[in-house]
Amino acid sequence: MTDDTTPMTDGGTNAEARTDGGPPATVPPDDETPTWSERKERSQGLAGLTYQYFERSRREDEDLRAESTYVERDVLGFPTWPHETLRNLAITSFFVGIMILVAALMPAHFGEPANPGATPAIILPDWYLYWSFGLLKLNPLNPELAVLGGNIVMSNEFLGITAHGIIFGVIGLVPFLNKGSARRPVEQPFWAAVGVTGVILAFTLAALAIQNFFPISLDLLLTLTFMLPVLGGIITYAVLKTMREGYMYDLNRRYYMLRPPK
Amino acid sequence: MSLKKQDEMDHNAWLKNQDLTVIETAFLTTLIWLDKRLRIVDYLELLETMYYRANLQMPKSHTEQYDLDNKFWYWYPLYSLGSLSIVAYLVAAVSGALLGFYYAPSTAGAAAQGDPTAAYDSLVMIMKDVQFGYMLRSIHRWAAQFMVAAVFLHMLRVYFTGSYKEPREVNWILGIVLIGLTLLFGFSGYVLPWKQLSYWAAQIGVEMALATPIVGEWAAQLLFGGFTLGQATLVRMYILHVFVLPFVVTGLIALHVGIVWVQGIAEPH
Repeated sequence: MTDDTTPMTDGGTNAEARTDGGPPATVPPDDETPTWSERKERSQGLAGLTYQYFERSRREDEDLRAESTYVERDVLGFPTWPHETLRNLAITSFFVGIMILVAALMPAHFGEPANPGATPAIILPDWYLYWSFGLLKLNPLNPELAVLGGNIVMSNEFLGITAHGIIFGVIGLVPFLNKGSARRPVEQPFWAAVGVTGVILAFTLAALAIQNFFPISLDLLLTLTFMLPVLGGIITYAVLKTMREGYMYDLNRRYYMLRPPK
Repeated sequence: MSLKKQDEMDHNAWLKNQDLTVIETAFLTTLIWLDKRLRIVDYLELLETMYYRANLQMPKSHTEQYDLDNKFWYWYPLYSLGSLSIVAYLVAAVSGALLGFYYAPSTAGAAAQGDPTAAYDSLVMIMKDVQFGYMLRSIHRWAAQFMVAAVFLHMLRVYFTGSYKEPREVNWILGIVLIGLTLLFGFSGYVLPWKQLSYWAAQIGVEMALATPIVGEWAAQLLFGGFTLGQATLVRMYILHVFVLPFVVTGLIALHVGIVWVQGIAEPH
């Protein structure tokens, strides 16, 4: 048996290190452990602010619930088993079956081994990166974007990379720009037009990527790459604006039959 | 106070009092022995809860509640695209794991420029010699194509039905990240066979990285293992494809679906 002042192998003494048997030093006795409400009252700064906000948000929820006329019923829909489960299994097996069928009918293609010495006539990624590859072929635009006396500001490749960043950034900003409760294209013709512009742009950029296959001049192709999406967007906007009135009339009639306005 | 251990719930005494057959006694003894060590009771309770959950009724959806099915039924396939991309991801994961048994991420074995490398040869071996190998590779490739297509169409569906709107912005951005990672998945997989198109696609990747100021050279080193393509590039693409991306993408998909679960599906209105 060693006494408390005997040096340990790490140079310290036994005085503060306690193993089994002694009460652990850090945890206060039960009656001193603060309850949650005590902790809330004691907390300051960011923790206090968090508690205050949660309190407000809970109160807001309760108010909204009290105002609401929504009645929760016990049984509202189909059972998970067997209805939902079997339906999901059926959909999943169908998709997997289609994948295997397509794989059997159109086996994967295989090409020549890699040769660093010989650049192939046509370099292409998989189809889903055509749009990205098209963005790398925007070099004819580069001089026109220059401001410094005709000198190009950035290299052609970096222009393409910047375009990628812009596209991803714009898509990421969409939910912060488009607010409100409108959900359908007819309810928001502008945003539907933006979407159609984007989709067509993806296809025209893909066409720009495989420009060798198109029997039209590069200038024309480049013009079409940006004009066709805009044209598609304008047409979409016009069509949806025209459709809107009749469509909304139908929709409103249907909704007011089911949920008469207060 | 006695130091002798006491069994507060004396299960053995309880066992003795019962009039049990040998089989019942053996079963209960084993159960008690295991439960004392592994708390099996807790898991049985979980199973019981799950059993009753499975017999619960799903709440009526918005479209069912307001009887809009006759107006919207033709939209429903578009609402399974996210699920389809997960199914395709799982098919690609299983077939990819099987392909991994035969694939060798090595550029060794080429005597002259343009000779087949070990990676290329392992692909040829998979397609010509391995039983069911050609089919396996086709399934893997087509599953990848389906996944990318489903992910793109899923994004279009979400866009055109306004499902990204407040309060679902975070999930929209997470979806953009997932699309980027899916494309990276496809790109790294495209490089692995080390055929002509793989090599030159990777070459374009290196050139893109090098054209970026400040971080470009660092990114080229990290992703492609240098400024020229070689063994390092292939191994990095391989590790990215079979180790890094599977963990990251699986985790983000779980988060993506979890947020949908918490926030509810944005149904047609």
